[in-house]
Amino acid sequence: MIRFDNVGLRYGSGPEILRDVTFHVHPGSFHFLTGPSGAGKTSLLRLLFMSIRPSRGLIFVFGENLADLPPAGRAALRRRIGIVFQDFRLLDHLTTWENVALPLRVMGKSESDYADDVTDLLHWVGLGNRIHAYPETLSGGEKQRAAIARAVIGRPELLLADEPTGNVDPAIGNRLLRLFVELNRLGTSVILATHDFGLMEQLDAPRLMLQEGHLQVGSPQLTAR
Amino acid sequence: MTFLNDIRDYPWTSLLAGILPSRLAARLPKRFQAPSSQIVPPASVAGRALTIVISIMTFLACLTAGGVYMVHQSASAWVDDIASEITIELNPLETSDIEKKMTLVSLFLAKQSGVTRVKPMSADDSAKLLEPWIGSTAALSALPVPRLIAVEIDRSDPPDIAAIRNALGENFEGVTLDDHRRWQSEIKLITRSTALGGIAILALVAAATVAVIVSATRSAMATNREIIEVLHFVGANDKFISSEFERHFVGLGVRAGLVGAVAAAIAFLLLPLLVSLLGGGAVTEAETRRLLGSGELDLGGYALLVLIVVVVAALCMLTSRLGVFRVLKTYA
Repeated sequence: MIRFDNVGLRYGSGPEILRDVTFHVHPGSFHFLTGPSGAGKTSLLRLLFMSIRPSRGLIFVFGENLADLPPAGRAALRRRIGIVFQDFRLLDHLTTWENVALPLRVMGKSESDYADDVTDLLHWVGLGNRIHAYPETLSGGEKQRAAIARAVIGRPELLLADEPTGNVDPAIGNRLLRLFVELNRLGTSVILATHDFGLMEQLDAPRLMLQEGHLQVGSPQLTAR
Repeated sequence: MTFLNDIRDYPWTSLLAGILPSRLAARLPKRFQAPSSQIVPPASVAGRALTIVISIMTFLACLTAGGVYMVHQSASAWVDDIASEITIELNPLETSDIEKKMTLVSLFLAKQSGVTRVKPMSADDSAKLLEPWIGSTAALSALPVPRLIAVEIDRSDPPDIAAIRNALGENFEGVTLDDHRRWQSEIKLITRSTALGGIAILALVAAATVAVIVSATRSAMATNREIIEVLHFVGANDKFISSEFERHFVGLGVRAGLVGAVAAAIAFLLLPLLVSLLGGGAVTEAETRRLLGSGELDLGGYALLVLIVVVVAALCMLTSRLGVFRVLKTYA
């Protein structure tokens, strides 16, 4: 599903953030991506999400070489991926409901087909009473949950989450982790970037450890070469 | 074909909602409302200044097109009028009786095939034609004013003008025939020049409108860069993003276009009064009428104004689309 071959990344003429990163993620797997702050977790997720290009090496997502992919192909791949940003990236002029429904709207689905699903999901993540609220009136934790709901509403094949439980209390954090696990059971591959060891200990999932730009593999489910 | 498909797929039913202020749009029946909140906020795309600029551009385009249309209509009427008539001019000679010659020439003309009516003009009628320039004076009767015979011809079966001209020259001294061909070509030349001038002005207005829309599109995309990024992240392709901006620009084009066209229509309605309001005399008014006809637009003229609104909206749509695609290419 995802293959990194000797990927290196540097911003401008700065030092290399990621060095010779090589790994392979199988469909239906669940991985934690961890490492100290500044280790390059967010950069690796951005590479996976095609928001930046590697300085060297090859990246394959769903079998497609990202280096050869035209813009239209990138849009098609992104529809198969859900992403939760550390800074949420909700649109301030849309309500919580409209923000969550955005990926389905972009797919061209009819509002009447997805209205109930969006409402149900918002209830499930504990935002049932904030459906018509605008992001600026939401707390950090509520924004986090709205961002997660937006990432999973389209039942993506791959879910990338950058510190998805960083702004919520442990109870909500556990609930969100259950949501990710449930999605994973339904077939979605999950890569969850976190430095919350408490969260990682709750699940027996392989860990991708980033340290000084190098990736170390901490599970047999991950094939490092 | 892609363009035709885009026109087919455009959310036309929600266009009215895009034109009206949000308070009024909310009162529209559900099928005319936009499917959900607009992803790109309208205020971030079409500000008041931009609406005013496009309205002024449309106003100028409508004035130009309407003016050219009126001149063309007026000139066509002139050409039609003078093409169905020839004029015989009898120069007064001391050696001949002009009244007798008028009768003889009239009889000669009436016998020609293709001539439907011969109308000799009296000395008073000929003098009246000179009144706007010389004035009504008793001295006019002492002047050797040429006498005229107006001849109407059958345009479906016209006479042999060259043969009549030759026969008149051979049989009558001091008689000339004017088939108005010189005037027809002059009028056609003036009409063509006016039309070319109008087209040049329309091209300049269109170029200025395109430049304004390109600049506004870039500005709107810079303002909404974060929204575009989020749309990319949730899998929107360039066409989807472009349509979100396009919708606002089409609304802007229709709204501003209507304002400009209505203003131009009012200007055309007031045009007949304009000359007298500006202090023009009867002669000035008559000359203006001669150039612009009645000075009022007919139904075809108003249809032209509506067409300009459609063209302005289409220009806004296409320019913003190309602008968005161009900027998105730099994001890739």
